[in-house]
Amino acid sequence: MAIVTEGHEVFSGRRFLIIDDFPGMRTMLREMLKSFGAREIDMASNGGEAIALLDKGRYDVVLCDYNLGAGKNGQQVLEEAKFRNLIGLTTAWMMVSAEKTTEMVMGAAEYTPDDYIVKPVNEATMKSRLVKILTRKEAFHEIEKAVRAKDFNRAISLCDEQLANRSGYASDLLRMKSSLLLSTGQYDKAKKLFEQILAQRDVPWAKTGLAKVYHLTKDYDMARQLLNAVVEENRAYLEGYDWLAKTLEEVGELGEAQRVLVRSAELSPNSVTRQKSLGEIAHRRGDLDTAEKAFRKTITLGENSVLKTPVAYIGLAKICSDKDNHAEALKVLGDVHKHFDSAETTLHAKVVEGHVYRKAGDLVNARKVAAEVATAMSDAATRMPAGVTVEAAELIMETGDKETASKLLKVVVQNNHESEKLLGQVKEVFAKGNLQEEGLKLVEASRREVAETNNQGVQLARDGKLEEAVELLRNAKTMLPNNKRILLNLAYVMILFMKTHGKENGMVREVRESIDRVLKLDPSEKMCGQFQDMLDAIPD
Amino acid sequence: METSDQQQPPELTAFLASAIHDMKNSISMLVNFMEEKLVEPEVKDHPICKQMAPMLYEVKRVNSNLIQLLTLYKVDKKFYPFDLTENSLEEFMTEIEQQNRALMDTQGVQLEMDIPDDLYWYFDRELVSGVLNHALNNATRYTQDKLRLAAAEVDGQLEFRVEDNGRGYPPGMLEEGIKVNRGVSFNTGSTGLGLYFSSIVAKMHKNQGRTGDILLENGGKFGGGCFVLRLP
Repeated sequence: MAIVTEGHEVFSGRRFLIIDDFPGMRTMLREMLKSFGAREIDMASNGGEAIALLDKGRYDVVLCDYNLGAGKNGQQVLEEAKFRNLIGLTTAWMMVSAEKTTEMVMGAAEYTPDDYIVKPVNEATMKSRLVKILTRKEAFHEIEKAVRAKDFNRAISLCDEQLANRSGYASDLLRMKSSLLLSTGQYDKAKKLFEQILAQRDVPWAKTGLAKVYHLTKDYDMARQLLNAVVEENRAYLEGYDWLAKTLEEVGELGEAQRVLVRSAELSPNSVTRQKSLGEIAHRRGDLDTAEKAFRKTITLGENSVLKTPVAYIGLAKICSDKDNHAEALKVLGDVHKHFDSAETTLHAKVVEGHVYRKAGDLVNARKVAAEVATAMSDAATRMPAGVTVEAAELIMETGDKETASKLLKVVVQNNHESEKLLGQVKEVFAKGNLQEEGLKLVEASRREVAETNNQGVQLARDGKLEEAVELLRNAKTMLPNNKRILLNLAYVMILFMKTHGKENGMVREVRESIDRVLKLDPSEKMCGQFQDMLDAIPD
Repeated sequence: METSDQQQPPELTAFLASAIHDMKNSISMLVNFMEEKLVEPEVKDHPICKQMAPMLYEVKRVNSNLIQLLTLYKVDKKFYPFDLTENSLEEFMTEIEQQNRALMDTQGVQLEMDIPDDLYWYFDRELVSGVLNHALNNATRYTQDKLRLAAAEVDGQLEFRVEDNGRGYPPGMLEEGIKVNRGVSFNTGSTGLGLYFSSIVAKMHKNQGRTGDILLENGGKFGGGCFVLRLP
């Protein structure tokens, strides 16, 4: 008989937290853990209590019931614990649930539990599952540490090491490795890996992974074909729907994308993120009713969730304003700062508030808000998302302060001198201020300015003046922290510099940060993967 | 539907599903309680325990029927979270054994396990354990005193076998086992749901053009009935 008799020591030295709203269940689980050898056991009867305990102390194992009555559910507790780093890399999270839910099993990978048990809870099963997760967590500890330190290539080579050792976690390791390759922009290698896995077996995550590669390298037709096959074969595969919606959005089939998002929101009725995406796409399509409903739902669902998003508040306010319901729009915006402790979000809400006043015909208040925005923007403009800066410039332009508006637009152009979409928006705002010509001139001049800096950097590098090239582009980066071309060139000259002068920890970090930021700005940038390879090829 | 109930009638199936869910929770508690109590030393040898033993079989049967109905409902509505993961057969089968130990003990049945070393396979853990638990529970009723649960890789497929030393399936049942794979309607007797559920689970498992299936046969190691689940 293979009852797990060993492993008493696995339990005796660890700290446990039980989260369940039923006193009987809590006692049952506690007695169970005691019989396994556990000594330090805390208990919480709802999400709030659980978060307070997690905030105070470190736990090695959390047993959490999915359904916790009113307030946060188990999934939301897990999300908050992960999001706020209340649990460590080695904490094992076991969800206990009356049924297998889509979110528990197929939600976003970073927010799924380590394992789940469907009730009735069998003692022996619980014990062997806990031992199994703890062992696995230990085996992956080094890899996860490297991931947290953003040393992705070390993480990848650790995966390879363990795969070569046949540690028994092949499927987990392949999955981790492939997602690391994706997030570092090494698409060719990721593609090869997914194809290798799929040659052996139809696995939905690998097929979805391959589709992601196609999506990220802008082969949307192939991505779409694969994703359609994934959701056709596996009707509840959330990630497949998520990427299918993104792909459809890219090719401009917004109606179809909305239909897919409706489906995935149905499958995960508590997902804040999916309701938000649905609201955004419906809003873009001008389907105001659907968007309004989705944003309202996003707000309600977000009440207990750390994943609540200002996008829903701002979106809802814009829709209310479009529907001439200005009073509610202002009320929603007034609530934003109560929910989100972020200067950038508050500023964005302010911008939208100004637009609401303007649409309502209240020019006095619109001007007042615009002036506040202008002051706040003067030193926040480089930090703000470009889209928000454009919105702010539009408000300021339309309420009359053309000079300040032009300055803000210049920042946008300089940081995004290659983005046709943003440049188009910038030109539109200039047109609204009757400054078409000035706008065109400014766009061209700023473009040229950035291009010249770049060329100068490249020329210095060609002439072998690598140190000067690094210096020049570093300065440019401080001025234009979101300019993709400058970030890429900076990473490149630094790599060249280290090739001749040897590796330098600080600079390696700087290169990684630049690559990281480029990938955030444009995940489809192919150079990132190549630079990563070049960086690794430099001997230590 | 009654005419008085015109505004937004609740969908009957959704209503049934939530009722099933509710019943399942209650039955789960009952199963937990019985499994725990029936093996306690002071209860074990009490005469009433002998009478209670068959009740555990009945309660577990109801429980597994409810789980099957609920799963079939979700599959039908296309929101069952089918979760294809790579499982260690050793771990998986040990769990199945643990979940059935109380039942075997109280029924006086000896369960022989044939667990392959170092075999991993892709399948949905909950669905397959649902099928095997049902098959084992069912087999305790028809066996004399022995059961065997085995898994092995056969012709590139994973094959689970639940074998007993009873009298074997009657010819009509063997027929049903073949028909259910083809989706032909099956008889609505007591085993209808279990077989249907098992065949749906088998069919949900696909790989590179192959689809899972189930098989009923007589023979096996003990010469009784054999339930076979094959997954690609």
